[in-house]
Amino acid sequence: MVTVVVAPLLLVFFVKTLFDAAVIPGFDQARYVLLFGAYIVHFLTFVLTAIVLVRERVAETLERMFVNGYRQIEIVTGYLIGYTTLATVVSILVLTEIQLLFDLGYDLHQLAAVFVVFWLLAVVSMALGILVSNSARTEGQVFPCIPLVIVPSFIFAGIIVPVDQLPMWAQVISRLSPMYYANQVLQEIVAGETLATNVGAFVALPLYGVAVLALATLTLRQQS
Amino acid sequence: MDLAISVEGVSKHFGEVEALDGVTLDVPRGSIFGLVGPNGAGKTTLIRILVGALRADSGAVQVQGVDPFTEKRRVRAHVGYMPQAPVLYGDLTSRENVAFFARGHMSSGVSEKVAAALEFADLSDAADRPVYTLSGGIQQRVSLAATLVHEPDVLFLDEPTAGIDAELRHSFWLRFRRLAGSGVTLIVSTHQMDEVAHCDRVAILRSGRILANASPTELFASGGATVRIRTGTIEHHVALLPEDLPRILREFDLDTAVTRIEAETATLEDVILGLIGSDGEERGAG
Repeated sequence: MVTVVVAPLLLVFFVKTLFDAAVIPGFDQARYVLLFGAYIVHFLTFVLTAIVLVRERVAETLERMFVNGYRQIEIVTGYLIGYTTLATVVSILVLTEIQLLFDLGYDLHQLAAVFVVFWLLAVVSMALGILVSNSARTEGQVFPCIPLVIVPSFIFAGIIVPVDQLPMWAQVISRLSPMYYANQVLQEIVAGETLATNVGAFVALPLYGVAVLALATLTLRQQS
Repeated sequence: MDLAISVEGVSKHFGEVEALDGVTLDVPRGSIFGLVGPNGAGKTTLIRILVGALRADSGAVQVQGVDPFTEKRRVRAHVGYMPQAPVLYGDLTSRENVAFFARGHMSSGVSEKVAAALEFADLSDAADRPVYTLSGGIQQRVSLAATLVHEPDVLFLDEPTAGIDAELRHSFWLRFRRLAGSGVTLIVSTHQMDEVAHCDRVAILRSGRILANASPTELFASGGATVRIRTGTIEHHVALLPEDLPRILREFDLDTAVTRIEAETATLEDVILGLIGSDGEERGAG
C-alpha cells in the first residue's frame, strides 16, 4: 500500500520538477500534464497487476481455484474488482496532486471527466496487466514484457508526437495501447468537450477495455 | 463392479520425458486406492489427469463415468483435489481459505460447510489464525478441509502425509477410512511404503508404468523368504517361496547336523522395493 500511495505522489512531483525546468517558448503545460498524469496511472496499475496471475500460477493456487470450480471469467473479473480500490486511489492521488501543483484552471465538470478517464484507464491497464500475466509461466517471463508495453505506450500514444505524424506501422502499434484512447479523450476535455458532447471519443476506451478483458479471460489457462 | 474411476492405456509425455506409459487401472466406488512409487514415478501426473488439469496424450479416462478433461465442470463438482504442497493463501485464516475454495462450488450454505470441514480436520483452535503462522502439519489439515468442504464423492490426495509426524499421519488415515466408510472414493498417492497397508488396493508405479496392481494382501503374499540353514560351520542362504521349504528340507535330509533354521519373511516394503528395483535392473540391462 505504501508503494501505491507514495509512488504516484513522487512521480507527479518529478513531472512538476521537469516541467518547471523546461523553459521552452510555446510549451503548453496544460496539454502535457494531463497526459503525463494519465501515463503515471497507466504505468503503475499495469505493472502492479502484471505479476498477480503469474504468482497464482507459480504458487499453484490458480490451479486449485480451477479445480475448485472457479471459471476464467470469475477469476479475471474478481481480480479487477478487487483491484478497483487500487485504480480509485491512484486516480484520485494523481489528479489531486496535479490540481494542486499545476494551475490548470479546469472546472468541476472537466475534473470529474478527467477522473473518469483516469479511473477507466487504470481499470483497463489492469486488464492489460492480467492479459500479460496470462502469457507467462514464471515471474521472470513477465518482467521483459513490461517495457514492451510501457515504452510504446509513452512513445507512440501521442504524448510526445501526434499519432498521425508517426509512420503507419507505429500508428498501428499506438492503437494497441490504452494510452492512445485515453489521450484522445483527454485532448477533447482540454478542448472543452464533455463526456456528453463527444460520445464517440469517450466510448473507445471502455470498448478497448472490454476487448482486453475478453482476451484476458479466454487466454487464462489452467495448466501450470 | 461399480467403478468411480476407469483409466485405460493412458500415456503422457512432457517433451522427451515419458511421465505415463500405458497406465490402466480401475477404482471401485467407496474404496481407498493407493498410488505408490518413488519421486518421478508419475503419481502426480496421473492425479492431475484425473482431475482434468492435464490432458492425456492417449488413452481413456473416466471419473464418475465422465471424461474429466472435456467435462471439467461436471466432474469437479463431485471431486476434491488436495495438492502435494498445502496450496493456500498465507495471509488468509484457515476459515477464510476453506471458505474461498468452497465458494467455487457453492453460493449458499458456505459457513455451515466450512464449519463442518474445519471440525472434521480438527481445526477449531487454528480456524481464525493466518495460515502463514501455522505449522506444516496444520497447514496440511487446512488443505484437507479445503479439499472436502463441498462433500465430494471422489477425493484425490497427492501425498497428503508428506512432511507430517507419525501421530498426524495416523489421524489422517483414520479420517480417510471414515470417509471411505461413508461411500467416498479416495485415491491417495504416497512414497511411504508402510501406508500401503491402509489401502484396499494399490498400484505401484515406476517411470510412468504400473508394475503391480493388487491388494496389500496379494502383494505381501507375492513376496519371498530367505532361509539360512547352518550345517556344522557352513551357512547356506536359500531364497525361496514358502511352498519350496519342504523340498529344501528333504534335500538337506533334515538331521541332527541341522542346528538352526531361520526364516526371514519379506515385509510389504521389501516386496514393493524389490519390484521397483528389479524393474530398474531390467531397464538397465535393456
